[in-house]
Amino acid sequence: MIPEIEYHRFSRLEDALRFLSENPDSKIIAGGTDLLVQLRARKINVKKLVDIYNIGELRYISEDSGEVKIGALTTIEELKNSKIVEKYVQPLHIASRSFATWQVRNIATIGGNLCNASPAADTAPPLIVAGARLRLKSIRRERIVPIEEFFRGPGQTILNPDEVLVEVNIPKHSGQWFFNFMKLGRRVSHILSIVNVAVAVKLDGGRIEDVKIALGSVAPTPIRAKSVEEYLKNREATLENIEKSSLEVVKDIKPISDVRASAEYRIEMSKVMVKRCLREALKL
Amino acid sequence: MSSITYLESQKDEYRILDQWLKAREYVYVGKDVKRIDALDKVTGRARYVEDFLVEGLTYARIVKSDIPHGVIEWIRPGRAVEHPDFIALVTCEDIPGLNQVGYYIPDQPALAEKKVRFHGEPVALIVSSKPDSLEELRNLVEVEIKPLKAVYDPLEALKDKVLVHEEHGSNIVLRTKVKKGDVSKALENTDYVVENVYKTGYQEHAYLEPEGALAIPMDGGMTIILPAQYPHLAQSIIARVLGYPQSKIRIIQPVIGGGFGGKDDMGPIIGAQAAIAAYKVRRPVLLVYTREDSFTSHCKRDPAYIRYKSGANRDGKLTFVDVEIIFDAGAYANRGPFTLWRATAHATGPYEVPNVDVRGILVYTNKVYQGSFRGFGNPQVQFAAERQMDELADKIGIDPLEFRLKNILRIGSRISTDQVLEDSVGVGEALVRVAEKCGWFEKRKKYGKIVDGKARGIGLACAWHGISTSRGVPDWCNAYINVSKDGSVSIYTGIVEIGQGTHTGLIQIAAEALGIPVEKINLIGGTTDAPDTGATHGSRGLSFGGVAILLAASKIREKVQKVASRIFECKPEDVEIRDGWVFEKIKPEKRISWEEAVKRCYAEGEELSATGYFFMPKGKFDEEKGQGFAYIVFSYMVSAVEVEVDLETGLTRILKVWPAICAGKIVNPKLAVTQIHGATVQGIGYTLMEEVVIEDGKIVNTNYTDYLIPTISDIPEIDEPIFVEDYFKFGPMGAKGLAEMALIPIPAAITNAIKHAVGVKPSEIPYTPEKLYRDLLRRMRE
Repeated sequence: MIPEIEYHRFSRLEDALRFLSENPDSKIIAGGTDLLVQLRARKINVKKLVDIYNIGELRYISEDSGEVKIGALTTIEELKNSKIVEKYVQPLHIASRSFATWQVRNIATIGGNLCNASPAADTAPPLIVAGARLRLKSIRRERIVPIEEFFRGPGQTILNPDEVLVEVNIPKHSGQWFFNFMKLGRRVSHILSIVNVAVAVKLDGGRIEDVKIALGSVAPTPIRAKSVEEYLKNREATLENIEKSSLEVVKDIKPISDVRASAEYRIEMSKVMVKRCLREALKL
Repeated sequence: MSSITYLESQKDEYRILDQWLKAREYVYVGKDVKRIDALDKVTGRARYVEDFLVEGLTYARIVKSDIPHGVIEWIRPGRAVEHPDFIALVTCEDIPGLNQVGYYIPDQPALAEKKVRFHGEPVALIVSSKPDSLEELRNLVEVEIKPLKAVYDPLEALKDKVLVHEEHGSNIVLRTKVKKGDVSKALENTDYVVENVYKTGYQEHAYLEPEGALAIPMDGGMTIILPAQYPHLAQSIIARVLGYPQSKIRIIQPVIGGGFGGKDDMGPIIGAQAAIAAYKVRRPVLLVYTREDSFTSHCKRDPAYIRYKSGANRDGKLTFVDVEIIFDAGAYANRGPFTLWRATAHATGPYEVPNVDVRGILVYTNKVYQGSFRGFGNPQVQFAAERQMDELADKIGIDPLEFRLKNILRIGSRISTDQVLEDSVGVGEALVRVAEKCGWFEKRKKYGKIVDGKARGIGLACAWHGISTSRGVPDWCNAYINVSKDGSVSIYTGIVEIGQGTHTGLIQIAAEALGIPVEKINLIGGTTDAPDTGATHGSRGLSFGGVAILLAASKIREKVQKVASRIFECKPEDVEIRDGWVFEKIKPEKRISWEEAVKRCYAEGEELSATGYFFMPKGKFDEEKGQGFAYIVFSYMVSAVEVEVDLETGLTRILKVWPAICAGKIVNPKLAVTQIHGATVQGIGYTLMEEVVIEDGKIVNTNYTDYLIPTISDIPEIDEPIFVEDYFKFGPMGAKGLAEMALIPIPAAITNAIKHAVGVKPSEIPYTPEKLYRDLLRRMRE
């Protein structure tokens, strides 16, 4: 049972931002697929809820010559069905396909998945390797931050109490880029990741010119596998190099043991998933 | 060795059953009749316990212990009394009768008294005028418990350093024994011996609908709308707790969202709790366990620790089986004495073994208590027995299927308890047919090789499962049938519809016996308004419930035949009733309608109501010697499973399952298939992913995010089942039990397939990807 809470719903962003600036003790609710579970389990204590789900101006997927813009209230199902996302933000598109269940995808939003800041969030690693930036807005100001600076720890972000994540910007990539996303869970579907991984690789002939790798569920926040990236840069895109690089991931991750998996298993699986994700991306 | 006692008073019943068994051709039985409850369920009209709104309804929730073992200092409503919705706090002091809901051993209170013995034990009930404030009220209640040292590990508990029940003097609840021949002598003369320890975990029933009960004080007694599996058992336990005569307690089943055995145990318990609260507040009380309450506080499949040693000779014949079974009862014995006995008797697997020594120990710990769950103690021990068969076959160097066929039970075989099987043993045929269908020999040769980090394997396992109560424990069934003046028929049975479809099957049997279409029959089931029919458990609902209905309906049929014979001027036995028409067999064109015949019966003084009491013939079991009669008959199951193992992650994907079942006559093939599917899937969950995680006595994964059950994407193709119809003489048209069967061989079938794929030797379930991964690493190092 959810405890009694003051509930405010807005259909205009400006009204929501004004209310937030005057009521810093509020918590924002969008799709609610994470928040309601936490409230019911009394994992968080909230006095006022600000429901922004009806703010239609935050639900869109658009593109211009340089980037893709995704409104924060875009649902995961909309990401999954979007031709733009499929074409320009491939790892996010792949992640959206294995994201939770159809029912959850229909209501959960990309903004919600990021702001909930679960280390296992499936949209985070794809957006990290895609170089996404987040537009945060309050009644007084607006700022744009790289997604990697957004997460602070489990359930924690840099958002101020009066701020709303309004948009995700993803640059279009030029050149020979290869993307992928993979997750490992304890069953085939409808499952929280034991480890998830996204990769973006730019090839120059057979040589790896640029590479970004991000993992989830193996540290307090989604993280970059910089040691793996360092190893791969300027090396040939061969199976052997990929296998060797994947071993480097242990330097980048700090997994814990919990009810889903032990830290040891997460470490071993991080190597496997990095290797597989790269292999599949490069079709090796 | 064991002789079965037949009752002179039941001679007529034996005759009727024999007649129907020999008929072999049926109009309604054996057909895919549509479920009678299908439309109501898919249109949302079905009424579950929470859908009954009665006047003055109040709402209750359990208040739980957050200490696994301790002494209750006090329980007070605290600030809850200031809340406008507060009605009452109910504790053990409010119980008018005996605070005792134990099943076989009187060790379990309805609400904790003096002590708590597991984390999550109900210590009180909070009653509110509104459902929304229950959680808030529950948190305001003050419970003070002085912690005691607790014991969680059953092997540790055997040392009796911490006593869960001081008055019992030991944590050992009881011991069981089955013994045949001389195991130590056999060991000396055996070529190959294998010894292993097998472990199995708790399994949560995970029914869609958690436990609930609506108790309504009325008519000088108590009516309880109750999702239970044995209304008359709930009646007797609730009567004991309230201090009422049993006849003052009326149980009615609502539509039930799954039982799997869990509601057999929990029905009486939650029914008693709701009744205590209703007694105190003198108003109707709806008590529902939240999902978390259900996880923390309802019984689960008993974890087992099994030491298994067995041997065979070069010729592939089993020589002995030596087993020690430790069942973790948790805080209360509940059904443990019976699950353990079943495990003990079934420990050999469905094989002829000349020398047997099986010893069972049931032990208390400070954890949630064990309970009935599809298979009832048998899946644990069949896992051990059937894993062991593959290990032995490996050691001898013989194909596991051939090894099984050399030892499989057949008619005339002597089972573990030395009982002789007189009829209805189809398991050998099932084995051969499954092997043929799944391409056994070819795949055993082809698979087991690593290709691109993955390997396929195929494995199989058998199961046997005694039907009805064990040993001489009395078992009976009954039903009451009444034909109304318009020819429509009402059947009253205690058999409960818990989602399995049994009520549809029962109507088919009645339609067959009466010779009228199923639409003319209305079945009122799961209620104490019917005669005591026994429980809907042990795969007995359709087989035993059906016997009673077949007998009652046949008695009515004979009355109608008698009256019609006067019209047709023929012998009663020459009258046929079919599809609602009554006629002389040799002159079908001269016929009267069923309705007309019924009218005649009413006019001519023939009673058209009947009961169908049947007492199952039983033998004797000598507990001292560990020998004698075990079960009147067994159902059998064989499942082959094909898997693909990912060696880098330890993930197992099940590619296909081939089931074969020997459950006698199949009354409704479509319903049988749904039961085989459901049980197979539940078995897959039990084997690969379902794990109750307990830290310091507390269950930490009380939700479906972290207690994993298979989803549709984890479910493989399940092949069209093979039905080996090995007729049983005391089943309706030869039917035996079916619903539990398909779960029982799955743990061994899957793990045997994994062994075939990658060579590990799984000895523990759930065999999670992480455990498989660790075993692979260990194997590589060796």
